[in-house]
Order: sequence, then C-alpha cells, then structure tokens
Amino acid sequence: MECSFALTGKDYVIIAADTTAARSIVKMKVDEDKIKTLSPHLLMAYSGESGDTIQFAEFIERNIRLYHIRNLYPLRPQSAASWIRRSLAESLRSRSPYTVNLLIGGFDTADESPHLYWVDYLGTMASVPFAAHGYGSYFALGLLDRYHNPDGSLEEGLDVLRRAINETAQRLVVAPGNYIVKVVDKDGTREIKL
Amino acid sequence: MPDMSAIANPQQRQFNPYAENGGTILAVAGADFTVIAGDTRQSEGYSIQTRYASKVFRLTDRAVLAVNGFAADGNMFVKKVKQRLEWYRHNHAKDMPLRSIARLIQTMLYAQRFFPYYVYNILGGIEEDGTGAVYSFDPVGSYEREACRAAGAAQSLLQPFLDNQIYFKNQTAARGYSHPAHLPLPDVLSIVIDSFTSATERHIEVGDGLEMYIVMAKGQTLPDAVTNLLPEELPSTGDGERVFVLKRDLKKD
Amino acid sequence: MNALLSKFSATDADSEIRTAMDLAEEDGLTDAMWGSQAGFGQLVQGHAFNIPAVPNPTAFLRLHTDDHADPNCKIKIQHGTTTLAFRFQGGVIVAVDSRATAGSYIASGTVKKVIEINPYLLGTMAGGAADCQYWETYLGIQCRLHELRNRERISVAAASKYLSNLVYSYKGMGLSMGTMICGWDKTGPTIFYVDSDGSRLKGDLFSVGSGSTFAYGVLDQGYRWDLTDEEAQELGRRSIYAAGHRDAFSGNTCNLYHVKEDGWRFIGNYDITKMHYDGPGAVPGSLGSGYGYDVRTDNRFSVLPKPVSA
Repeated sequence: MECSFALTGKDYVIIAADTTAARSIVKMKVDEDKIKTLSPHLLMAYSGESGDTIQFAEFIERNIRLYHIRNLYPLRPQSAASWIRRSLAESLRSRSPYTVNLLIGGFDTADESPHLYWVDYLGTMASVPFAAHGYGSYFALGLLDRYHNPDGSLEEGLDVLRRAINETAQRLVVAPGNYIVKVVDKDGTREIKL
Repeated sequence: MPDMSAIANPQQRQFNPYAENGGTILAVAGADFTVIAGDTRQSEGYSIQTRYASKVFRLTDRAVLAVNGFAADGNMFVKKVKQRLEWYRHNHAKDMPLRSIARLIQTMLYAQRFFPYYVYNILGGIEEDGTGAVYSFDPVGSYEREACRAAGAAQSLLQPFLDNQIYFKNQTAARGYSHPAHLPLPDVLSIVIDSFTSATERHIEVGDGLEMYIVMAKGQTLPDAVTNLLPEELPSTGDGERVFVLKRDLKKD
Repeated sequence: MNALLSKFSATDADSEIRTAMDLAEEDGLTDAMWGSQAGFGQLVQGHAFNIPAVPNPTAFLRLHTDDHADPNCKIKIQHGTTTLAFRFQGGVIVAVDSRATAGSYIASGTVKKVIEINPYLLGTMAGGAADCQYWETYLGIQCRLHELRNRERISVAAASKYLSNLVYSYKGMGLSMGTMICGWDKTGPTIFYVDSDGSRLKGDLFSVGSGSTFAYGVLDQGYRWDLTDEEAQELGRRSIYAAGHRDAFSGNTCNLYHVKEDGWRFIGNYDITKMHYDGPGAVPGSLGSGYGYDVRTDNRFSVLPKPVSA
C-alpha cells in the first residue's frame, strides 16, 4: 500500500514516497516517481486514487510554473501550500472531487526556513515538523515523536527516515519495497539515494 | 383474491428481546461507608412507564446492588443474585463477603455471554476489612473495584463531576494543603443529591425520585448531619454493618 | 396427589434447597456451581451458556453488541487498548495502558489490563474485557489444578495452549480476545500470543490493540536482547506512552510489570500526561524529563509556531 513520509531538520525538508503504482492486487510499475518538484525550492509528494493523483499533481505543477513565469519569482512555500489546499477544498465541493493526499515541503528563500505541510484529500492542512500518509503513518508517527530532532543535520534526518522506512518494512503486511527520497534546502531540490 | 403484496415483498422480522429503560445509578465509597443511589424513573423512548421503580436493592447487611439498563433483565438478575446469596447463607451460616459477591456476579453475568443480560451493575458495600467499596460491571461481567462510579443514561454527565469532586481530578490543592483520600458521609451525600438534581435538569430519562442507600461499617454511627435528614434504617441481622435508606423527590417533568 | 404431598411435606431447610436446586437445574445452573470451583465447574461440562433461541445466535449477539457495526447498539463491549510484552536478557517486560472506551466515551481510565494468573504467569487484556478477565481467571484455576496433579508448575507453553484450545472451541461465537501469556518456566522467560481466532504464536516481542502500531514504532527501534533491566522497563513505559499519545482509544495510565525467575513483580503505574510533561518520575532508567515531542525538543528550532506563553 502507498506510504509517504516527510520530516524537517536544520534548514531542510526530506520527503520520501514509495515507488509502486498498483492496480487492484497487481503492481503495474515499481519505479514510479510520486514526488513532483513544483518550483526550485518546493516539493510535493502525492498519493491516493490512481488517475486523480497524476491529474491533480500535473494541474498543480503547471499552475505553480505559470505563476513563476508570469511573476519571474516562484510562490513561497506557505502561499503555494495555501493555494494547493484551496484547490483541493474547491474540488471537494465539485461533482468529481480529487481523492489525493499530499505532503508539501519547501524551503523559503526569503526567510531561509524550511516548511512542511500535511494535506489530505478533504483539504485539511497542518504545518508540522514531520508527517506521513498511508498505513506507514501508524508505525512512523510514534517513532518520529521519539526520534525526530527538529534541528538535526541532514545525515541525522536521513537516519530517522531510514528508521521509519525500516520499521514499516518490518511490520506492515503490505509494505512497499522501494522509495524515492528528495531533499529541499537552500540549494534547491535533489534526489538522494538512501 | 389472495394478498399478493405479501408474496411480492418478502417480510423480514428481527427478534429483539431488549429495551432501554433509562435512569441512572451511582455509588461512592468512603473510608468506612458506601453510598449507592439511583433515580426511580422508568421510561421507554419518550414515555414514562412509572415514576417509582427501584433500581437499588439491598442484598445483605453489607452489600447493596444497583442495576441499570433493561429493567426486566435487571429485576430478573437481582432476583437470581438474591437467590444464590440465600443458598450461600443456608450452606455456610453467614453472609457472603462483598468481594465474593462481586466474583459471583461476574460468573452469573458471563454465563449469559452469548445472550447477555442488558444490565449495567454497580455493587457497593463494606469489605471484610471494614472499608467502603464499589465494584462496577459491564453487561457480560468484566469488573473492577473503584472509589466511585456512575452508570446509565446520565453517566456521561455525572462521571466527570464525580471525577472532579471525589477524585479531585484537575484540581490543585492550595500550597501546604492536600486533597483528602476519602470524603466524610455528609459531603458525599450532598454530592450525590446535587448529581441527581443536575442530571434531572439536563437529561429527560432522569427524575421523579431518588433512593440513596447508605451502608455503614461495623461500629460506625451516622453523623448528626445525616441523622437530621431522617434516614430509614433497614432491619439487620446482628450488630455488624447497618444499612440506611434516604429518599428524596426529584423534579417530575 | 402423592407427588403433591411429598413436595410439600419436606419441611427442613435442606430439602427446600434441594427443591430450589432442582428448579435451578432447568435454568442451566448445576450442582457444580455450588462446588469449590466458584461456579466455573459447570462450564467444562458443556451446557453452561444460555444460547438465544434464534436461527443464528452469533448474528443475534453481533446485532446487539457489536459497536463497530452499529454505534447505537445497546450493549457496548469495551474495546480499544494498547498492550505490549517483550522478552530480553533480564526476563519479560509487560506494559499496558488503562483506558476503556465505549464508543467515544471513556468508560474507565483505571482498568487493570494485566491479569495476574498466578505468581509466575501474567496475561494481558485486549478485546472484550470480560472475555479476557473471565477466561484468564479460569486459566488460573486450571494452572493450579495442574500444579496439584503433577507436583510441578505448568509451563507457559502448556498454559497458553490450554487457553488457545479453549477459545478455539468457541470460534465463531463472538469471543474477542488478543492476549499475551507471559511467564518464566524451565525454559526461561517466555511469551505466547493467543487470540480468539485460535492463533497461538511464540515470540520475543508482541504488541496488541488499536495503539499497537504506535507502540511497535518505538519498541522495535529501541529493542535489543541485551537491554539492562532499567533500559527495558523504560522502553516498555516509553512505548505505551507513544501509543497513549497517538491513539485516541488508548491512554490514561501505564501499568508496568517485570517477570523474572522468581515470578512477576509490579513495577509501577505511570500517568501518561505526567510522562508527556515531566517524564515517569524518579525511576531507574528514565531520562528525568518529559517524553512529549515539544517537551523533548524544548521548543528548539521548529517549523511549528512558538507557543504563546500565558
């Protein structure tokens, strides 16, 4: 089953999402990247109803890009998250709502601080130091309460992420095998091999 | 012509032997006494069946049982508990101790595990060591000894109040003072009376009358403040524990 | 007329009791209830339980008791729990929360979810409170009988198998229990997980209940075989705290037990809110500070807004 994790640290946000695209009981693809880079310092992990996920993510990706082109500067993470949440909330009241859960992580170059938002398909948003979606959250959240260090180094953050992923792999019956991990900090976004 | 609609629309019937008869019960244990109380309204839905149906029953000189939920099951259950206690008396020439009555009630409730009595029980009385005790049960017999417990329709109104007033939950004692472990009987009685008048104000299934049973440990006498309320003393077998009943009116609307 | 006469001619108390017992027999009560087994005796004879006269008794029971299917059903059976037990170099640690819920109402915050079967055996309680309490008490009786008959203590394996076989015989009838039978026998510290489906598993580390996933998160990551006694007790407390914090159906307090070669010992009762802010108090193995995330991180740099001080 789909799992995604994210956590903040000293001037960075790490986001991890599993790489499986499943239909019914069949894995259709095992190397799907479900973390979009929306702007130079903004990442978004998406999961949920297949079809909805990609449609919604691409809609968001294009509109954030459009904002950047029109204004020559990108939306700050706080504003981008607000706008994305609003899009979901409006979709919820439409005839066919998007069933998509998000983790939005960004680095605000203006005040040089990392931001992480947990957003669900109902349009609930929370600014948090760490977050998770899917069944993995039941195992990771207690662990993150215990081990997460809000001003830990990147290496420390990756260690805590490894704990969360390993715990999920150990305990969850339907645990995913592979994850893509991306980091956003003052240097922008990049993928990291765990 | 036969009624075809009965054939066209198959009828489904469900056997439902249970009803919910409202009301609330409550018990508080003190250091050497226990108060067990219940209102006397019995209702089904929005109709009041009677304004005086007891939910609290004396079992022995030191044990009082309050039953709440489905009245028919409750009355049947009390009857059977009393019968078993009488057999015990005949066989052992003494009353069953309170903690044993508690265990007996567990086994009797659990014997009905697959066709439960829809009854929430609270047992109050005096333990063999002379302390006041309250045991509360779920319908299939899980039980626990506590210092106070409310059950029934208004349990969610009363229990938080008791937690605050009996256990002093969310209260901080003034510097140099500490909360008492047990309250004196007059204080407990006023808390019980206030609980039921308040529940009557805010819950439609609570009201009409209030019956409070007071079980006093061996050698203990009622404080003057309580004697002045003119409680009725129930006849007891010896010079051991004593049981008193105090009745009060509650609002009848 | 003769029958009538003989029925009324017996005047002594004893025969009156016998008449009453004869009547009671029709009710499913038997002689065994009078015996030394405190009413348990009749159960093994097989006709103990009164079953409703409906075509499908199980569906009947579920209709009236299952609060998942129907939150408004009348008979609410307690659900929601976190329990855990693990084996390590120094014995077995058993830790549980103390919350009982009926729907969203907290029916009790002081439930004893560790059942002291005998001085060497502990059972934990998850699922139906009465099912666990009753059958584990019953198991205690059977363990004592085993001691008397065989002049030696029952092994944890045998005790747990007794319980497992017993609940398996009621499979499909609606019993609900997930329990860990923990003890120390000739083979050393032992844990068996037994549930009402009939599974029985031997293992080093188990957690059961709605909050178990959160407890596992902390437990797995902190677990080693060579934990010291103090470290192990701290891990048990910390894991129950994690579940009490994250799972709404778990909380209030944590009860901690340690089983060693000479039997179990109750270590303590810890308030989960107190653990959040101040830690478990002056106990060996504790850091001496609160477990809470915001307490632990001491409002250091965080994406969370700083709390407004009063």
